[in-house]
Amino acid sequence: MLGFLLRRLGDIIPTFFGVTLLVFFLIRLIPGDPILMMAGERGVDAVRYAELQAQYGFDQPVIVQYYHYLVGVFQGDLGRSFVTKKPVFEEFMTLFPATVELSIMGILFAVIIGLPLGVIAAIKRGTIVDHTTMTISLTGYSMPIFWWALLLIMFFSTTLGWTPVSGRLSIFYYIEPVTGFMLIDTLISGEKGAFVSALRHLILPTIALGTIPMAVIARMTRSSMLEVLGEDYIRVARAKGLAPMRVIMVHALRNALIPVITVIGLQVGVLLAGAILTETIFSWPGIGKWIVEALGRRDYPTIQGGILMIAFLMMSVNLLVDLLYGVINPRIRHRR
Amino acid sequence: MALLEIQNLTVEFGSEDKPFRAVDTVSYHVDRGEVLGIVGESGSGKSVSSLAIMGLIDYPGRVTADRLSFDGQDLLKMSARRRRQITGKDIAMIFQDPMSSLNPCFTVEAQIMEALKVHEGGSKRQLRDRTMELLNQVGIPDAKSRMTAYPHQLSGGMSQRIVIAMAIACNPRLLVADEPTTALDVTIQAQIIDLLLKLQEDSDMALILITHDLALVSEAADRIQVMYAGQLFESAPSEGLFDKPRHPYTQALLEALPERSEGHHRLRTIPGVVPGQYDRPQGCLLAPRCRYANDRCVSEQPAITAFGGHDVRCFYPLDDQGQPTGRTA
Repeated sequence: MLGFLLRRLGDIIPTFFGVTLLVFFLIRLIPGDPILMMAGERGVDAVRYAELQAQYGFDQPVIVQYYHYLVGVFQGDLGRSFVTKKPVFEEFMTLFPATVELSIMGILFAVIIGLPLGVIAAIKRGTIVDHTTMTISLTGYSMPIFWWALLLIMFFSTTLGWTPVSGRLSIFYYIEPVTGFMLIDTLISGEKGAFVSALRHLILPTIALGTIPMAVIARMTRSSMLEVLGEDYIRVARAKGLAPMRVIMVHALRNALIPVITVIGLQVGVLLAGAILTETIFSWPGIGKWIVEALGRRDYPTIQGGILMIAFLMMSVNLLVDLLYGVINPRIRHRR
Repeated sequence: MALLEIQNLTVEFGSEDKPFRAVDTVSYHVDRGEVLGIVGESGSGKSVSSLAIMGLIDYPGRVTADRLSFDGQDLLKMSARRRRQITGKDIAMIFQDPMSSLNPCFTVEAQIMEALKVHEGGSKRQLRDRTMELLNQVGIPDAKSRMTAYPHQLSGGMSQRIVIAMAIACNPRLLVADEPTTALDVTIQAQIIDLLLKLQEDSDMALILITHDLALVSEAADRIQVMYAGQLFESAPSEGLFDKPRHPYTQALLEALPERSEGHHRLRTIPGVVPGQYDRPQGCLLAPRCRYANDRCVSEQPAITAFGGHDVRCFYPLDDQGQPTGRTA
């Protein structure tokens, strides 16, 4: 077990290097000069330009710049944003809870809806129920997020007026950030109505973000469940005289979950990586929106640092999923 | 009264208007403490008929019978809930492949205890003690440490013993063993059959032994039934069936046994295959493969008749010399 953990942690190091290398060079391939971006419309004279170049180290060869960047990263310094002049890591940590909050809600939505849909479709295989569920999930999967999100806003916010259009909290409340999670902070603050407001703001982004994972989970659960239901041990369980519900929920689902867990893990990674579209459309102050804005401004340190943090998160989630396998699948547990 | 009584059991799959009959009006009975052997080629309906007894045929399969009663209770007329109380308790079944019969996610102990708990209940301690007892009974060495093992840690023979322990957990009065040894190697096969017969004798449980191993069933069974393409072809006490087969199919099956092919250059076989959904003959189902078939066999289906102490589905059952009787053309 410990050996496995160490090996997996060892795998992270080359991946880490790869990510820094890729991001560092790729963003420098994008046309656009960060100094000109900073200067804005008025421009900058040649002398001042050279000065700034020297200040940010752009006058040195790219390899040397990369070296300096790496040295910084290994000292835990992701650099400072060109725009806000604040440390990237600090900015990341301020925005990250918003993304985590949304991601958790999104994945909860996806699992709570997707898993039962998949199970029901598998049990009712070939019937109208099966076809309906699978059509819905295919539609959900194929729907472009930006369009789906706009439809949701148009219908629920504009036409029906049930939910707010964007943001995390109504402007009538001011909540001091404690954990950074709005749902928790509003509860702590004890301000009346703030929690409900935060919850209402979460509904549409959650649906927009959770739809694709929901569809993926539903389809995966269905096919995995169908496979398991055909296994001999399911027949044996039924031959024991167990109730159908117990056969499905205990004997079949437990086995069917093994591949589904992988998918859920991957989806969590994807969601954390910044629900870029969702955050942008709903003006959700998370890292997805932050990175998109940084890209527009050629804010190199922010982009580099942000993507590195995301890659790190992805790897952690994957590791966690691998560890989770052992919990549900004894065959993996014992092989280690 | 027989323990299990089956009259005109039919199992159909496929569409309503063009169904495929996997089991075709089969009637038989099993007495208390009796060992009944059912033999037949693949696709003869042996397994499907036993699944029907267990109530394990799912939609779109359809099970009908004039009578399907266990210990005087009609299995087809009772509620699903009531039937589940019988299934797994009074009637238990073990399947062909022991390695896939155990759920990979649960320990041996959990799977056996589950069967006990559903039908008999009791404290965790009682269940565990009983499980231990069962494992000893089916000859698992070092039962204590096997209790917490997972299926992937067991060999095939060991798995089959566990499956048997699971099936006999609630002292069933009828055990259906569907090719219990097919997936095991030869040395283990004998052990498992011995175990089954010992359990059967000790508890006076009835046993339906489904197999295509004729030698095995001749030693183990009191009575043997031969099935073909979903129909019952011949039914007789086991010595009678082997010494004086009355049905041409039984005769051909016996001739195909390797030990009876001595002196022949090649092993003898029955030409052709069991008819499927689309090539089902109009007359006797065996007609295309039967060496004695005539025009009547091709156009008309024979019914089951008593002949020479056997029940035979043939117009011209064989006499003591193995020649068809009453055949004119």
